[in-house]
Amino acid sequence: MKKDPSYSEQELQAMVRRALSRRQFLGRTAMAAGGLTLGSAFLSACKGKEAAPVVKEVRISNWPLYIDPKTIPDFEAATGIKAIYTEDVNDNNEFFAKVDEPLKRGQSIDRDIVVLTDWMAGRFIKLGYTQAIPVAAFPNKANLVDHLTNVGFDPGRAHSVPWMSGMAGIGYNPKATGRELTSVADLFDPKFKGKVTMLTEMRDTLGLVMLGEGKDPAACTTADATAACAKIKQYRESGHIRGFTGNDYAEDLAAGNIAVAVAWSGDIQGLAADNPDLRWIAPKEGAMLYSDNMLIPKTSDRAELAATFMNYCYTPAHSAQIVATAPYISPVKGVGDELVKIAPALASSPLVNVPADVSARLRVFKWLEDAEDQEFNRLFQDAIGA
Amino acid sequence: MAGIAAGGGRRSPVAPYLLVAPGVLWLLAFYVVPTVTLARTSFGPADAAWYDGYQRAFTVYGVHLGRSFGYALAATLVCVLLGYPLAYAIAFRAGKYKNFLLGLVILPFFTTFLVRTFAWKTILNDGGIVVQVLGTIGMLPEEGRLLNTVWAVIGGLSYNFLPFMILPIYVSLEKIDRKLTEAANDLYCNAGQAFRKVVLPLSMPGVLAGSLLTFIPATGDFINAELLGSPNQKMLGSVIQGQFLQVRDYSLAASLSFVLMVIITIMVLLYARALGTEDLA
Repeated sequence: MKKDPSYSEQELQAMVRRALSRRQFLGRTAMAAGGLTLGSAFLSACKGKEAAPVVKEVRISNWPLYIDPKTIPDFEAATGIKAIYTEDVNDNNEFFAKVDEPLKRGQSIDRDIVVLTDWMAGRFIKLGYTQAIPVAAFPNKANLVDHLTNVGFDPGRAHSVPWMSGMAGIGYNPKATGRELTSVADLFDPKFKGKVTMLTEMRDTLGLVMLGEGKDPAACTTADATAACAKIKQYRESGHIRGFTGNDYAEDLAAGNIAVAVAWSGDIQGLAADNPDLRWIAPKEGAMLYSDNMLIPKTSDRAELAATFMNYCYTPAHSAQIVATAPYISPVKGVGDELVKIAPALASSPLVNVPADVSARLRVFKWLEDAEDQEFNRLFQDAIGA
Repeated sequence: MAGIAAGGGRRSPVAPYLLVAPGVLWLLAFYVVPTVTLARTSFGPADAAWYDGYQRAFTVYGVHLGRSFGYALAATLVCVLLGYPLAYAIAFRAGKYKNFLLGLVILPFFTTFLVRTFAWKTILNDGGIVVQVLGTIGMLPEEGRLLNTVWAVIGGLSYNFLPFMILPIYVSLEKIDRKLTEAANDLYCNAGQAFRKVVLPLSMPGVLAGSLLTFIPATGDFINAELLGSPNQKMLGSVIQGQFLQVRDYSLAASLSFVLMVIITIMVLLYARALGTEDLA
């Protein structure tokens, strides 16, 4: 992320968080704190159904480093609704493990919006853990880009809207690699032994390796997954792959501890300010596309307020403001024009404004049914030595 | 109950029970109930054999199990070797600086475990001074780096648990009556013999306590392996975390937890017996 003065007081927190990666930090702290979120959810459940809030308040769970510092205060000033924005989604599976029980029993999780990646959003909707977004309070939903208005897990986007989209491809440090990279095969170049990391997010890492094997992650089979996992395992055991990470690879990449990483587009763009050398590419075989989606838990009694927040974020100017700090792909139409006004350099970046040839290579991992999901996960966890 | 009532005379027979009640309730709620729940979880879903989780714990994760104990043993050994001389120096040689030095031992606790471990990532950086110096004198491990190797993990474990070794040893050394070593000297022991025959045996309870305080948490630790190791150094703690939170194979995760608990208990009992101080364990 770009350095911003208002981040300075959170410096230490952010440092540790980045070090541990957004995907893993909460798991650790929550384990250390004895599962505080869950505890409070249980406690509030014991108190019975909450009385309607006197102060209008909307509670949001999102991934770390996924918003700019101004949006929340601006939203509060514009709407008079207090927003409690918590960066406590660090891993889809871990978040699910925490809220699954209370939601199953219909207990409040003290959240009105949670932001989860496509496949996990799909699982939430399928399990009936979400409620329909009140469209009356969300006229800006019309600004959603066309190619995301209809997704398999949520036809017509009744229960979910994307927060941001991003790509998983290859990030590298040309100083360490000594050459430009173009292919998934570069991840396995013996020259980079011990200098490669991959993501713990199964669909991103597995998808990319499958693309390298000439398989399509959008239509893969268990055999494809088994083959890709075997390859990952082989390179992990030989010490070629140094680790499996959340977004903590970014620090190691900048420090030169690693040369090549399976990386998220926004991370590298965010680091570019301090490390202009770092590159991110969508390999010639293809790259993975994902979206993180806003959902309203079924136990929230403030759906209207949640929709008001979504509506605010779906104004092109407001979305552009978020993208300027968290450089991912906005799902809101007209953001490009707004971004030119506030961050012209970023507006022309291929990571924020994806060119057609890259777009054509992007793949979304196929929807996995429960049994298949567990089988893929088992294979993958075994491959990464977890 | 009858015995207490008879022997207690005027005292209320329920008083002792009331006194232990808070502790018992605490243990019941926060130890017995979770343990029983965990045990039930470990016997797995109805569609698998009850021992399925345990079987996989040994077959699939035997390597991690061995690794956890291996690293913890190595770290405990390093801690004894580093901690004993230090505790000895503080207890017998530090004079008026004793409290100051003890303060230094405790000082790291003022920063969180996580940040301290993370600091080692920076220190052991591939391009950092430590790697450069070791590289120059040809002492680097075969990987050509320190970070994400077994050495970094054992080093991290030793670093993080060292104070838990030093403090109990210090306490047991501090308690030793100096007149005993003087007596040993009077009986023609030289300094080395006096140490071996008097000081060392008397400080064994401290070594035992320190070893347990180091070994047990080090076995279950996963932060060091996760931050300073590579996937080939994963310890059982990470596997349990991953199985509970990522794969959500609860029966395997619970089985692994139990296997770890039981093996630690057995090792601790054997260790205490070997040192002949089981009444302290």
